[in-house]
Order: sequence, then structure tokens, then C-alpha cells
Amino acid sequence: MKEKLKQIITKAESELNLITSKPDLLNAKSRIVGKKSEINSLMKNIKDVAPEDRREFGQLINEAKNYLQELIDNRTKVIDELIYKEQVTSSRIDLTMPGRRTVQGGLHPLTKIWREVEDTFLSMGFEIADGFDVEDEFHNFDALNTPKDHPSRNLADTFYVEDNILLRTQTSTVQIRTMENHQPPIRIIAPGRCYRNDKMDASHSPVFHQVEALVVDENISFADLKDTLNMFVQTMFGKDIKSRIRPHFFPFTEPSAEIDISCVSCGGSGCRICKNSGWLEMGGAGMVDPSVLATVGIDPEKYTGYAFGLGIDRITMLKYNIPDMRILFENDLRFLKQYR
Amino acid sequence: MKISYKWLKDYVNLDVDPKILEDHLTFAGIEVEAIEQIGEDLQQFRVAEVLSAKKVEGSDHLQVCQVNDGSDEPLQVVCGAPNCRTGLKVAFAPIGSIIGGEFKIKKAKLKGLASHGMICSAKELGISEDHEGIMELKADAQVGQDLATYLDFNDIVYDVEITPNRPDLLGIIGVARDLSALYHKELHLPQAKEWESRGDVKDSLNLEIENKSKCSRYIATVIKNVEVKESPDWLKKRLIAVGLRPINNIVDITNFILMETGHPIHAFDYDKITGKKILVRNAYEQEKFLALNGEIYELSQDDLVIADAEKAIGLAGVMGGANSEITAKTTNIVIEAACFDYASIRRTSQRHKLFSDSSYRFERALSPETPSFVKDRARDLILELAGGQLQSGNLDVYPNPDSANIMVELRPARVELVLGTKIPLTEMKSYLKSLGLELITDNPDKLKYKIPHFRGDLLREIDLIEEIVRLHGYNNIPVKTSLQKIMNHKHFRFERKIKDLMVRAGLYEVINLTLFDPQSLDKLQVGTEDFRRRLVELKNPQSNLMRAMRTSLIPHALNCAEYNINRGNKDVRIFELNKIILNNSNKTTEERKFLTALLTGNRFDNYWKDKSGKCDFYDIKGIIEDLIAETNLDVSYQVSNENFYREDHALDIFWKKLKLGSLGQIDPKIAKSFEIDTVELKQDVFIFDLDLTQLFEIMNFSEREFQEINKFPNVHRDLSFNVNSDIKVADIIHSIKVVNKSIMKNVLLMDEYKGKNIPQGKRSLTFSLTLNSENKTLTDKFVEQLIKKVIQNLEKKFNIEMR
Repeated sequence: MKEKLKQIITKAESELNLITSKPDLLNAKSRIVGKKSEINSLMKNIKDVAPEDRREFGQLINEAKNYLQELIDNRTKVIDELIYKEQVTSSRIDLTMPGRRTVQGGLHPLTKIWREVEDTFLSMGFEIADGFDVEDEFHNFDALNTPKDHPSRNLADTFYVEDNILLRTQTSTVQIRTMENHQPPIRIIAPGRCYRNDKMDASHSPVFHQVEALVVDENISFADLKDTLNMFVQTMFGKDIKSRIRPHFFPFTEPSAEIDISCVSCGGSGCRICKNSGWLEMGGAGMVDPSVLATVGIDPEKYTGYAFGLGIDRITMLKYNIPDMRILFENDLRFLKQYR
Repeated sequence: MKISYKWLKDYVNLDVDPKILEDHLTFAGIEVEAIEQIGEDLQQFRVAEVLSAKKVEGSDHLQVCQVNDGSDEPLQVVCGAPNCRTGLKVAFAPIGSIIGGEFKIKKAKLKGLASHGMICSAKELGISEDHEGIMELKADAQVGQDLATYLDFNDIVYDVEITPNRPDLLGIIGVARDLSALYHKELHLPQAKEWESRGDVKDSLNLEIENKSKCSRYIATVIKNVEVKESPDWLKKRLIAVGLRPINNIVDITNFILMETGHPIHAFDYDKITGKKILVRNAYEQEKFLALNGEIYELSQDDLVIADAEKAIGLAGVMGGANSEITAKTTNIVIEAACFDYASIRRTSQRHKLFSDSSYRFERALSPETPSFVKDRARDLILELAGGQLQSGNLDVYPNPDSANIMVELRPARVELVLGTKIPLTEMKSYLKSLGLELITDNPDKLKYKIPHFRGDLLREIDLIEEIVRLHGYNNIPVKTSLQKIMNHKHFRFERKIKDLMVRAGLYEVINLTLFDPQSLDKLQVGTEDFRRRLVELKNPQSNLMRAMRTSLIPHALNCAEYNINRGNKDVRIFELNKIILNNSNKTTEERKFLTALLTGNRFDNYWKDKSGKCDFYDIKGIIEDLIAETNLDVSYQVSNENFYREDHALDIFWKKLKLGSLGQIDPKIAKSFEIDTVELKQDVFIFDLDLTQLFEIMNFSEREFQEINKFPNVHRDLSFNVNSDIKVADIIHSIKVVNKSIMKNVLLMDEYKGKNIPQGKRSLTFSLTLNSENKTLTDKFVEQLIKKVIQNLEKKFNIEMR
């Protein structure tokens, strides 16, 4: 009896050691411990055993059966490990092949800067106002205190649609329209398109983009203007960039100034971009002329204000180091894709 | 804290509606969290008469009664109270009423006898501690009347949140004082009375404070021969209104004064005080103390106790001891009116997790001046309601009486600067006077005030400014405008959203100059009456190419495509969002925003795993569908009547009857006129053109509402069939959905196939159907029947052949 069990075990051991697949293992399992297995048929012989030995007989068979099950479990683990190894080593990939890029477009660099300008001013509590491209002479010149015979009104400088209808030469028209409809406090920017009769070249375009800022309230001073300019310039170009204003002339501001910022390329030491001056011209500024306020019905005794205008194309070119303005409007995809 | 409207009226002559007062309290800084109608739960009980009461056999106390509660038939009620007897008027709880907020009266059986309701004791009704039998009502009580009316229980109670800086508001008087200031009305405080007294209190009691840093004041009053009994109705009603249970007259008076003044007091049974001595001392380490709540606390040296010659009789400011409790047998009492250090009370309260109405107030720093007032108040009420003889003289230990003398200066100009409005000087003075501040120097530029002892929170000028504006009303401060609402935020976000959507769709933004050559409209074969012919032309153009304001973005889009194709970028996916400018007949101009996109060439850059295909009509349509999905608009499409599209390869987009734009394939000849040779390039050009100004005006900007996520699983079924090629997919989808609109969640075209194995003039289509119900899991049987119906429907309508 014990001999018989030993035989069954040895046979099962050698059989299992040859098995390497799951289906083979299942077959072997039914042969070794299944209903029709040798050990099961041995168990049926229990009725032939003397009653006093039955207990020991049953115990022996059960022990053997447990041992066989253990053998099968161990082999299962070995085969699982084989399958896992096979799985992870069979399909190697070339990690250097390019990944699948998602299809994406991109905003025009001008739009990116435009948004940055808007967001900067929004964070400083400004509102954004909108205006018309086609304007009348009153809003573009008269209300802005421009003399009737001022050269900027010439056909050589300004596009006309009718005698007194023109394409706005500056976003300052929005100042006038806003002040006509609203009493102070006013705190707006007006980004938009402007037109001047300039030939297209590296730094000029008949169509260009400006952002105008206007603040009118009680106690608004030249000092506030300088503060806002500094905040704006440093947000756009970085904490190290300085701004300065120098005396200039505009018909609609008094005192008037031109705005310079320290060169974003060389930091002020002088380079090709700033023509060795260390400074870059950014736009015009000043305190709103009292007669402009009076024209739109705002009491110039009670209120004061400042305004400034900056070129969005120019800011874009400086920030992205674009050497020629024409590139902005050619829409070459090789250019546009650089900024996605 | 709970505040009773009627109680408030004892001190200030309120003539506002209780509902309006709720608002006034909240906007004066005393936030009302809930408002409660007192007596509401008493309304469910009725006055009833016991018509008969007979002993129940086999029970020593139960009686079976016939009760008339005003309804048609007398009710049989079993009652266990010994004082239940024929002819008695009682408080009756009918079936369905709820006692004590939780116990619902139901039909019951006692000793086999049905009982239809319950006759209540005063305790069961929550109006007294008396549970010696049922409550006996007056003989003239009107049967059937509700108990709230009979007992005259009607009051409004506000549950208010008191901010931690205002312990003075933890008493009704404090709130009344604020209201007197708010309404410019006089505050009526209870006046102390004169009483005969005998003996010397010092013979009865010896008072000593050992730890003076923790007890800034202690006043003890001794009254002998008091009669402990039930409180009068008015006192009970006050306490019930603010959520306290009446117990006996002495305890009720101490609770009443705590609620009235916000300053806790305590009464000891004089005869339980050993050695005629009250000693305020630190507890001994591990000293055991049995509190009034029945719990034993093991004290530490950091706890302050009130002790007699032998033992602790109170945990100072937190809770009295059981060993000195006032009971029905008490005849002689000691009243404590004291002030304890707030930090010490807080530590003791936290250490033992023992929180009481008293500790709640003391830990907010009360004034040591108030005990004189509350001592008088307690003495007056006790002598009035419990009788007894007051012992002469004072036991008042007050080590540093001048510590609470604070002066604050107020500059009216500063008030205006901080508040942005000018409040008249008389108004400011009236508020501060009513709040108890004493004007010391009346200089109109600088007023000097003495702060009352109970307002420890007023230390600086800015504190007074807060008081002034609180009473003046935050809502009465004018708004100072800083922005004019010039900006159209909606439009601003709309444009950004549209541009971002285009970028996500894989398009690059182009920016072109606003000026164009109107000849390009001829190239596009735009009709002479078309709106795009309303040109705004320049008097002094630089060149013919920039002669007019553009009326369409399409020519520039085609120019951009041509420019890039000539430079080797054959795959062009671009959009522009910009103005067009039109001439109006009345010599004015009109500026509109348009969105135009162009696709040509490969759909995406070739990738080594899968090759790209050329863009087709469905690419441009997909982008439009994405965009329309963002607008929440129901649009429809019709075959386009624009001349520049290839015939039958373009759609116009409509919302109702309004044309929003168009999309489709540019006619190859027209493309060629813009120098794009689609035949040679082997790629077509697709465009959409959308009037954003119009879209913005009709767009539905309402935010998406949350939709419950369905907990039942989706069921998917595919349908494949051959159908005549001229049958439109949109019609088929509609016919499938219409079979059961609520179940058929989505019908998706999966495949189109023509050619081998498909008869001439037919195409094979495969649709994927998603089915779902919000309220059940769909069974296979249900789904099969539905699909069968769908197929029958399609066979009938379109003559389909299932595959």
C-alpha cells in the first residue's frame, strides 16, 4: 500500500516536471487527482480493508492526495512565472521612435501678446473698450484737439472714405467715445486696429495695432501714469526692465511724453536693436488735455486723467525677437508654427 | 443664544414687527439663524373635561375615563394619575400628537381597555418640573381650546449668533441696549428696590478669596427663611421661551438673571455650608467634586473652586456642587455674584469637558462691575417671589475696582474718511450714548468718551467707528463707483473661446490686413445684390490691392493657402477671426466679426503608424459641429446657394430662418482663379464662413446644468443594412430615434460601404445604437422588441435590407 502510494507520487512528479503549458497542466491535474485518477480508485478499496485499519488507510491516502495537490500548485506557480516572463520579454519596442503627437493649431503671436496685454490691464482693474475702425474726423482729430491744418490730417498720412470719414489713425478715438457716454471714474484700455498711409516695410504697415489706456477720475496725477506704465512694462517684459518718459508733443495731452523702456535685448548696455542707445521707444503718453475733457462734457476742474498708447505689433516683435514687421502679416505656417 | 421678543420689550419699547426685527438684528451684527414661534407644539394639545373616572379592575392605580375634548363623541382614555377625577379640566394629548418632540401618541390598550389619547402632566408638556399627577386646569377652562391659547403661550424667539467680541450681548439686556441705540429709544433697566434687613451678614458668613488673580470679585448675599416653590407663570414662560426648564423659584431666578444680564449667578443652600465660610481657592490635586449634573470630577490645582470650611461646594463659574444644591427643603440661601478669570474658566471647562451656560459666558471675559447689578436683581426677585429675610451689610471682595476705566477719542473727520460718507454728529452721539458710552469732552473735532465696563471690546477709535456704521446701517453707505461697466465681458470671453476652439481643432490663426481688392468678390462670383458688395472704398488707396475694406475673409484665406502651398506647405489648416466692414445705405458703416476657416491637404502630418488622409467635407463639417455644440443652438443645414462652392458639396447654416454662414468645398475653377490648382495638387479646398456677430446675438449663454449621471448601464446594438444611396443618413437616424426617444440615447453612423457585394445604386450602412433608461436596467427582451420595431420601421420607410 505505502509502496503503491510512493509509486503514484514519483510518477506524478516526473510527469509534472515536463509540463510547460496551462492546458497540459489541466489535463495532468485530472489524471493525477481527478475522479478517474489512480489515487481515487485506491480510495474505493477502503471497503476491503479491515475495519481497524481503515482509519490509517484513509489517512495515508489523504496525505498522499494533499501532497499531490501541493505538487500541482507548485507547478502552476512555475508555469505562471514562465508565461509572465514570456509575455514581458517577447515584444520589445524601439523607444526612440517618435510618439503620436496630438493635432493642434496655434494662435497668431500677435493674438498671444494681445491677450497678455489685456490680461495685464484687467489685473490692474482696467476695463476693455471697443471702437470702430471707420471713424469720423471729429473723433479722430477734432475732439482730440488736433488743429484743422495739422499735417496728420493729410491724405498722405490718413486714409479717407469720405471728406470727413476716415480710417482711425489711433485708438484714441475710443477715449472720446467712452468719455462721451460715461462720466468718471473711467479706467479703460482700448486695443484695436489703426491705419496710416505708410508703405509696408520692416517697421511700418498701413494697418497696425495699438492699445490705448485712459484713466479719468478725481486726484489722478502724472505720478499715477508713471506707476501704471512701470507696472505694465515690468509685467510684460520682466522686473528688470525700466521705463522712462521724456517730454514730447501730442495735441491731446498736456504735459505730453514719449515712453521708452530699457532695451529688452541688451538690458541697457547698447546693442543693434536699440541702436546702441540702451532704450526702446514704446509709445506716447500724457495727462489728458483739459480742453479734451471739456469737449466731451467732463468737468476739467473736478477731474484729471492720463492716457497712453502702445504698439501691440511692436511689443510682439520685441518679445519674440521678430526683426521684420511684414512677417506678422504674411501668415507663413513655418512662422506661425513656431508660436504654437 | 435664544432671545424672546416679549422679553426684549420689557427693556425697550419695540414697535417693529417681529419679522422686520429679524432683519434689523441681523444687519446690526446680531445674526438671526432661526426664528421660532413659541407655543407651537402646545397647539396640538387640547383642554378636555373628565366626564367620568372609574377604577380599572385588577389594577391599583389605573382609571378608565370618558373624556370630552370638544370633539363629537367622548373618548375612552386610561389614566394612571391619582388626581384624575370626574369633572376635572385637563390637558389632553390626542392621537397623533407628539410629546417632548419624539413620543407620538397612538391608540393603545391597557389591561384590555382601549385608550384614545393621553392626559398629560405639566412636565410631559415641558412647562414645569411638576410630575405629581396630571396638570389641573382651571374649572372655567374652555373645553376644546388648544393649550397654547389657554396658557397664553405666544412669543417669538430668535436664535442668534453672538460674535465672540460681544459677551455683553449674551444677555437680553445687552441686545435691548443695541436695539435702543438702533431705534433711538430709551433703555429701561430694572431698578433696585429698598428692603428691610436684619442681623449682620458677617455673623452669618465669612468670605475670603485666596486666589485673587483668578477671582476679580465676589459678592455674597444671605437670605434666610425663603420659601422654595414653583415659580409664577410669567417667570416660567420667560424661561421656557429661551429653552430652559423651570425647576423651582430660586433656581429659576438664577437662570432668569443669567439670561437677562448675561452674567451668571449661583445660589447655595446656606445650611449645607460648613463653618459659615465661603472660600475661593485653588482645588487640591485630585480633589473629588460631585457636580449638579451628577458627575464626579477629579480636580487639579489649576481649577478654581468655591469651598466652605471643609470641601468644594462649586466649580467656580462652571457648575455648582450637588452638596450645596437648592432643594424643596432649603430655607436659607447664599447668592453668589462674582467674576472669574476667563482663561482659567476656559481651561477648567476644556479639561473636564464640562460646558455650561455659565462657563460659556465667563470664558468670554465678563466685567467685574456687573456683579453689583446682578446681586441687587437677584435679591429683589428672591424677596419678591420666595419671601425671606435679607441679612444686612455687604460681603463684597473687589481687590482692583478701578481697572476698567477706559477713554477713547473719536474724530468725526476720521469717521467720514473710513466710511466714505458723512454721518451727522448728532446721530453719532446718539448711537454712542445709547450704547452706554459717556461723553467726557464735547469737542466737535475730537470727542472723548468713557467706555462702559461691559464693553471690553471698545478700545480704539476704529472700534467706535465700527459701532457707528453698524447702527447707521451698512446698507445706508453709498456705493462709490470705481468701474463704469463699459466692458462687454460676455463678448470678450466669447471671442477667446471661439479662437481657443479653433486651435484645439488643429487650426492656425492668421491675421490679414483689413483692406482688400474687391475684384476678389468677382472671382468668388458673389452676386451684385449680395451684402458683400456693400463696399467701403478708400478715396486715397495705396494700391488697387488695398482699395476697399474687406467684406469677406474668404479671399484672404484663399490667398494664405496659395502663399503657403507655393512655399511647400501643402497642408494648410487656418482660421481668421476678424472684422468685415460694410457700407450702409445711409452713409454709415457696419462692422461685423466673421470667423473663416480653410482646410486643404493632409488631415494631419503623416505618422509612421498610420498614414494621414486628405481633408474632406466631413472634416470641415466636424469643426462646425464642434463649434455649434458650444453655442447651445439648434441649427439646420440646407444645400448652399453660394456660387464659390462646388455644386452639391456645400451647406448653408441656419438658425430658424437666419443664415449664419456656410461650409463646403471650394469649386475647383474658383480655387484656380486664386491660383490653387486642386487637380494638380490632388487636394481639395474646404472652407467655412460664419457671421460671429449674428451668432453672438442669438447664442444661448446659460451655463450647462448638471445632469444626473445614470446609474443604469448603457446597452449597445449595431444595425447593418443595405439601402438606396439617395436615402439620407440624417433621415435614417431620425427614424431610428423616433421609435423611442427617451430610450434611444444616441445613434451613431459607424460605417458606409459601397462596391463589391452591394447592389448597384445602394450602399451598406452600419449604425451603433446606445440605449438607456433613467429608471431601470433594460432587459434583453425589451431591447430585442425595440430593435425589431426599429427594423420594421426602416423597412417600411426606406425599404432597407438587413445584412
